[in-house]
Amino acid sequence: MELQTQDIANVRLIHVEGRVDLTTAQSFQDLLLPKLTDCTGETKKVLLDLSGVHYMSSAGFRVLVLAARQCKQQQGEIVLAALQPYLQEVFRIVHFDVLFKMFATVYAALEYLSPTAASAYRGTE
Amino acid sequence: MSLTSLTLLARLDSVPRGLAWVVECATAAGFLPHRVMEIELAVEEALANICLYAYPHSSGEVEVRCTQDETRYFVIEFIDSGIPFDMLARPAPDFTVDAAQRPIGGLGIPLIRALMENATYHREGARNILRLTALLPL
Repeated sequence: MELQTQDIANVRLIHVEGRVDLTTAQSFQDLLLPKLTDCTGETKKVLLDLSGVHYMSSAGFRVLVLAARQCKQQQGEIVLAALQPYLQEVFRIVHFDVLFKMFATVYAALEYLSPTAASAYRGTE
Repeated sequence: MSLTSLTLLARLDSVPRGLAWVVECATAAGFLPHRVMEIELAVEEALANICLYAYPHSSGEVEVRCTQDETRYFVIEFIDSGIPFDMLARPAPDFTVDAAQRPIGGLGIPLIRALMENATYHREGARNILRLTALLPL
């Protein structure tokens, strides 16, 4: 699995690609959490693009809970976008809507987080 | 009725092999890819729990059995000889609390319950038997 990161205005867009299961969850954690350390308040918000994740088990959910917790402790914000139907279903089962705002597309999430970032992103599409 | 089984060491590094095998069985049974993935997720949660908790003081095995019969059910059984361990009896975490209070684990069992038609546990002699059931497609 891999992460691709792009800073757009005051949003850090992190594209997650691959399968997050028992064997890859530690890599997911090691790659993701350090990218959140400077995401505080309005200065940098986090958007996880999950369009490239076709399978995630509870080992991966654990990492997302840690990420949500870290952002909250820093007064930061983290949202999710572009979930595959499978992930939408399992996230509903574990009530991740309590932890995360979720958006159908990356653009919709950017519009919510930062109009400046949304404009900049549209310019790059 | 057809029954196939696979025996693995109850260790986390066995889980991918167990998963791949159940995916093969579920696909051969006629489940669509989306449903196979749901079954795979439930099986990962079950196997991981057995590998983590069934043998706290020793090593041991877990047998995975896939059965398909005329009742239109695909049954996956996990049989181990570890300590009595009913993972289904664990209380679900409190889903209503925010990130600061939410426990980071405990999500596997609610997933098993939600994704499978039925999940049961019983102790038979010195063995734990966890049975997950999925309705076969028409």
